[in-house]
Amino acid sequence: MKTFKTIMMLVSLLGLNSLMAQSLNALHVKEDLSKVSLTSPLWQKAKAQSVEVYPQTTIEMNDAELVRANEANLAKILHVKTLSDGKSVAFLLQWKDKTKSLQTVQSTTDYSDGFAVQFSTANDKLPYIGMGSENRAVIVHLQKATGTIFEPNNSGDVYHQVNTSNQNTFAKELTSYKNEVAKQGSGDYQRAFIAEGFRSMTQIRDNAEPSLMEMKYDKGMWSALLVRPLKSEHLSLQDSFPVAFAIWDGEKKNRDGSKLLSAWVGVSLDAKAKALALLDEVKGDASNGETLMMENCSACHQYKTVKNAPNYMAPNLSNIGGYANASYLKESIMEPSAVVVPGYNLNAHKNFLWYTSDEKGVRTSTMPPFAHLDEKSVNDLVAFMKTLKVEVEK
Amino acid sequence: MSQRQLAMVMDLNKCIGCQTCTVSCKTQWTNRNGREYMYWNNVETYPGEGYPKKWQELGGGFDEAGDLKAGVVPSLQGEYGVPWDYNHDELASGAAFKPHVDPKWGPNWDEDEGAGDFPNDNYFFYIPRICNHCTNPGCLSACPRDAIFKRDQDGVVLVDLDRCQGYRYCIAGCPYKKIYFNPRISKSEKCILCFPRIEKGLPPACAQQCVGRIRFVGFLDDEEGQVYKLVKKFKVALPLRPDYGTESNVYYVPPTEAPPKFDASGKIIEGSERIPPEVLEKLFGKEVHEAARTLRAEMKKRKETGESELMDLLIAYKHEDMFRLDGNYYAEYAKSKGMPVIKPVDERYLSGKFTAKMTFFTKGAHA
Repeated sequence: MKTFKTIMMLVSLLGLNSLMAQSLNALHVKEDLSKVSLTSPLWQKAKAQSVEVYPQTTIEMNDAELVRANEANLAKILHVKTLSDGKSVAFLLQWKDKTKSLQTVQSTTDYSDGFAVQFSTANDKLPYIGMGSENRAVIVHLQKATGTIFEPNNSGDVYHQVNTSNQNTFAKELTSYKNEVAKQGSGDYQRAFIAEGFRSMTQIRDNAEPSLMEMKYDKGMWSALLVRPLKSEHLSLQDSFPVAFAIWDGEKKNRDGSKLLSAWVGVSLDAKAKALALLDEVKGDASNGETLMMENCSACHQYKTVKNAPNYMAPNLSNIGGYANASYLKESIMEPSAVVVPGYNLNAHKNFLWYTSDEKGVRTSTMPPFAHLDEKSVNDLVAFMKTLKVEVEK
Repeated sequence: MSQRQLAMVMDLNKCIGCQTCTVSCKTQWTNRNGREYMYWNNVETYPGEGYPKKWQELGGGFDEAGDLKAGVVPSLQGEYGVPWDYNHDELASGAAFKPHVDPKWGPNWDEDEGAGDFPNDNYFFYIPRICNHCTNPGCLSACPRDAIFKRDQDGVVLVDLDRCQGYRYCIAGCPYKKIYFNPRISKSEKCILCFPRIEKGLPPACAQQCVGRIRFVGFLDDEEGQVYKLVKKFKVALPLRPDYGTESNVYYVPPTEAPPKFDASGKIIEGSERIPPEVLEKLFGKEVHEAARTLRAEMKKRKETGESELMDLLIAYKHEDMFRLDGNYYAEYAKSKGMPVIKPVDERYLSGKFTAKMTFFTKGAHA
């Protein structure tokens, strides 16, 4: 295994990395998938494919304990099976996790394990992997492993909000009161969101993006299911489409941006579907790319052990090769303002504005375009950036 | 930036630590629904560890460069302490009276302990704490969901429960630890400065109920108001821990009045200060010395001449004069923005549907 890794490392450093995008091949089934479950025998027919998920290091969150717990994170392998019946698509994800973490109602510091699947509403260009970008919205289906969660204000039922100690009921009446309160909690945290980048994520409450989700923990392994229609209000998935995955580890206080995430990967609904060109990798000389990166990028961006730039100055690129696609990297070098996500740092880091906005709200990146670079240099840069990622956990 | 800022001044020389404010807030807002451990208002004994335990050491706020500092989310079992209840039901059958958990900490765990050697130089004073409705809130800066906003009409900082996803970065980001996580609904909640009362021209519950009459409430731009005079004109009201960089809008008249110290034989040490000035400096910054000088000078002037505007303000002869709120202002504001005037039961805090109408969220305002 080690030898294979070394060879792969050399191969990628020599710029001979595969040019084909990774593709998940959906197995076509006749059965109606809208009723499929984690234990359905249908899954036995499907072949599991590996997708690597990498720690998000673009921005650092402001929770000291969380930062400490995730410092030494490695990448993980997600085993993904995909089914389609022509109307719906179903994913079964499996990943190793030593601990089952649930968020409970008795703690302020419990965080839950969870998973999310992200779809793109734009078909011509990739949205930013971190929850989309302006005019390239993403739909995110998220499930967290929680105990019972209640709606704020108990959906307006004020009477059943009152703590039992403040209730004028006793014995049997108190029991039935408690039962009524318990009924008002929903046992599961499953949500759909639409987002155009950091800070813009908005919950879809009207079931415009329906889904069926399920999570189960068994012997150190999470299994998770997502089934959703191919066509909905914001999405029209056909032939081949990009999809991305993320997982959260509650044990490490993971939530929000602190997670492991994949790059965009292609899903092919049938064997004849053409692979998506926008997911293709580039060919380049990574060692020349490393030199170029030091010359052009390291004054603002930190990556791996290169920390010439001050903190917060610009996105950290330590794992960019793990979760960014070549076409997105290329676009970001040539036209930094093509995708400007609303910055995490606007209020938090006033000295380093990642972008400016005009009165219409059009955002211009602080990064100047590097359009003067020739195509070879850009390809070399991208080839090097694709090597910026941590190892995969054994 | 909100257009106007509502602020509160608390005169610590008058606080008697009776917790009436704590209870008035608790019974109104936080006695149910996952909020049992929350104290949007609490009164701490200082020196003491406070609530949550050692909150001043849990990080958050901003460094000198203006960057948000990392913080820690306090735990219910450790820093807050699990709210306990007693086995009243079992007493009739002869059981011993005991709490249902082993209590480890609570909102007034170290009340009245203080520091120093009794009776020679021991001291303590009370600090009532609510959300400071900061001009530069750490919670707002930390939120990756834009779920926290500052109202244009009065600068009150609120959580939009619709947008909140319960990530708790706000709690790490607030250096005062005055925003809390509600585990039952998996969302953050905090003091709302009683905005449904404020909008009707009534003071917040904690201020209305205050037995010692220590609280003044009003707008910082109202030059006729006591808040303006104490904060801007006389400069005797100071924000707590200004070094956190959040620009608090709750101000404190520092506790300058304490008996002198005694020597070993029990005699008064003339000119001694029972509350060490460095303690006050830590809490209120270097300005505390000037504020103390002003207060003493005005007291002296009052003694000698019978006149002192500042003393008249602080004595607060009429309770209603301590609050300068105007329900009409809010009604007019709502009308000008096409917002419905507040109903007896206010649904806005739950629905988040006014989010889009805040200038904070309008395109270009700060995006």
